[in-house]
Amino acid sequence: MKSLKEDYYNGFFSHIYVEESVRNHPRTRAILDKFPLAKVIEIGHYKDVFCRSRQSCILQHRSQNLILAAKQGTLIYKGAPVCQSFGNHHFYYTSCMMNCIFDCEYCYLKGMYPSANIVIFVNLEAIFARAEEMLKSHPMYLCVSYDTDLLAFEQITGYAEEWCNFTEKHENLKIEIRTKCANMPFARKARQIPGVIYAFTLSPQAVIDACEHHTPSLADRLSCAAELIKAGCPVRLCFDPMIYLPRWEQHYGEMLKQVYDTIDLTKIMDVSVGTFRISQDYLKKMRKQEPDSAVVWFPFQNENGFYHYPDELMEQMELFLTEKLAKKISKEKIFRWKE
Amino acid sequence: MIYLFTALYCEAHIFIRQFHLEKNPENTQFQEFYNEAEGILLTITGIGEIAAAAAVAGICSKYKPKEEDMLLNIGTCACREGNAGVFVCNKLTEQATGKTFYPDILYRHDFEEEAIVTGMLPWNDEKNIPGMPAAISGKNLYDMEAAAVYQAGAYFFGPHQMVFLKIVSDGGTAKEVSEKRVENLMESCQDMLFSFVKQLSLTAAENTRKEHCFRQEEDPVIEKLSADMHCSKVMKDLLKQYIRYLTLSGTDYASVIQDMYREDLLPCKDKREGKLRFEELKRRLL
Repeated sequence: MKSLKEDYYNGFFSHIYVEESVRNHPRTRAILDKFPLAKVIEIGHYKDVFCRSRQSCILQHRSQNLILAAKQGTLIYKGAPVCQSFGNHHFYYTSCMMNCIFDCEYCYLKGMYPSANIVIFVNLEAIFARAEEMLKSHPMYLCVSYDTDLLAFEQITGYAEEWCNFTEKHENLKIEIRTKCANMPFARKARQIPGVIYAFTLSPQAVIDACEHHTPSLADRLSCAAELIKAGCPVRLCFDPMIYLPRWEQHYGEMLKQVYDTIDLTKIMDVSVGTFRISQDYLKKMRKQEPDSAVVWFPFQNENGFYHYPDELMEQMELFLTEKLAKKISKEKIFRWKE
Repeated sequence: MIYLFTALYCEAHIFIRQFHLEKNPENTQFQEFYNEAEGILLTITGIGEIAAAAAVAGICSKYKPKEEDMLLNIGTCACREGNAGVFVCNKLTEQATGKTFYPDILYRHDFEEEAIVTGMLPWNDEKNIPGMPAAISGKNLYDMEAAAVYQAGAYFFGPHQMVFLKIVSDGGTAKEVSEKRVENLMESCQDMLFSFVKQLSLTAAENTRKEHCFRQEEDPVIEKLSADMHCSKVMKDLLKQYIRYLTLSGTDYASVIQDMYREDLLPCKDKREGKLRFEELKRRLL
């Protein structure tokens, strides 16, 4: 019997689900204009599609669809305990999009969301308004690209640029745009805004090849980070999550060499280091969804409901990077994740 | 395996003939046709939501579909605007409740796509069906089973495993649609339908093969090691995890285990020694 061809699946965004309430929103129209061949299906609420039971994230990743909706309820959330706050007291995050175009096997989104389809909340102004309300009472460190990769989607939404414009107008706001993307057109146009931190998640090329599907190479990510540094933008390098693979020391050593060759570390804002960790509920779902993924089937150690690498290995991996990095940048700029 | 459901025999006959499906005389509730080699189980549900839901639930409870199986609902429908042809339904609305369901449309196909409304009554005169003018708008299709098949199917299948194909038979004149007319209609588009069913069949077969390959490789190793190390249930589960991880990561764990046998570290004489050897094995493997 012949093998099933990859092209048997529909192309990305062949179907776009649109909440009736945002059918005529200018952003909805702008996004739909970018996909003239897509089949548009009207829906009542995004959860009618996004939260169906028994969905297969793996298959949906082969043919991801878009859902355009209005964000309601809580618009800005307290930072999660497994996330690095970088010493910021008022640490929050927001989700103007849910899910990611990239397909990293270890990504917590596969455990958190019931679907791999991408939700874009078109009412960004509602989130801005909520942020402005909060900024009246205290400064804020807000991660805007946690549950997605905004820069990877910039051509479609323009949200990174909108967040930059918003942050520029609010001195007591600091945002982090986390990415694995190498959006050079954006980087070349980027201007220096002190409150906008571009955070690049970096992995050895062997990890990228093995489990960060559809993501740019390490070299491309570094070139993009270097371009932003050249423009004077604050850039953070995130060696988090570190992923175990056989001969990990060699792979992470080679990665560091590549980083040193491309980036002037004295101009880096800071770096974060942390090995892969995840809640047991998420990992359980990920293992069900990804029965063939080595990275999620590692025999982790469970501690208080969170899985991580065995203590000894975790310590070895994190120290390996932090000690090497400490030779290049001051220790105060190295944030190692601690519970 | 493809679980194919049609409401009527005249909608099913082309599949029975093409795929050499044989009737299962043991099923007295629903007409059931099967061909193991083709991986198709066809059931004739009867007309209407209750019949369709009962058939889907009955068949699926009996055969217990697997994650790689597909549910396919094929049948005729009505359409107000005189649309003709075969449609893949991307939105199913149950007229009685207003509930809406969205099967994933993951696979390429050569058909048009449309939303469908499922009602309790045949569509002859819309004035006699409460809520009909509001429910059916534009090019929407109308049938009497799709939303029910989805709802019952959702207990056994994910939205990526369910596909709804409808062939327009009339424009709201159900009483004029004879058995013969449906048979002819099905025959007129049979090549497209067969091709689609075969593609779905390939998907199911491909997924089944992957699942089996993995299990066959790892099971004997785990059983032997577990016995030789006198593993408890917890230890055996952990061992399974290690072997699974090492298999998936392409690590040559077999030679590490062989070394331990060669060094007379395995098999172990009791549980206590087994625990020590397991720690040693873990150390060598990672």
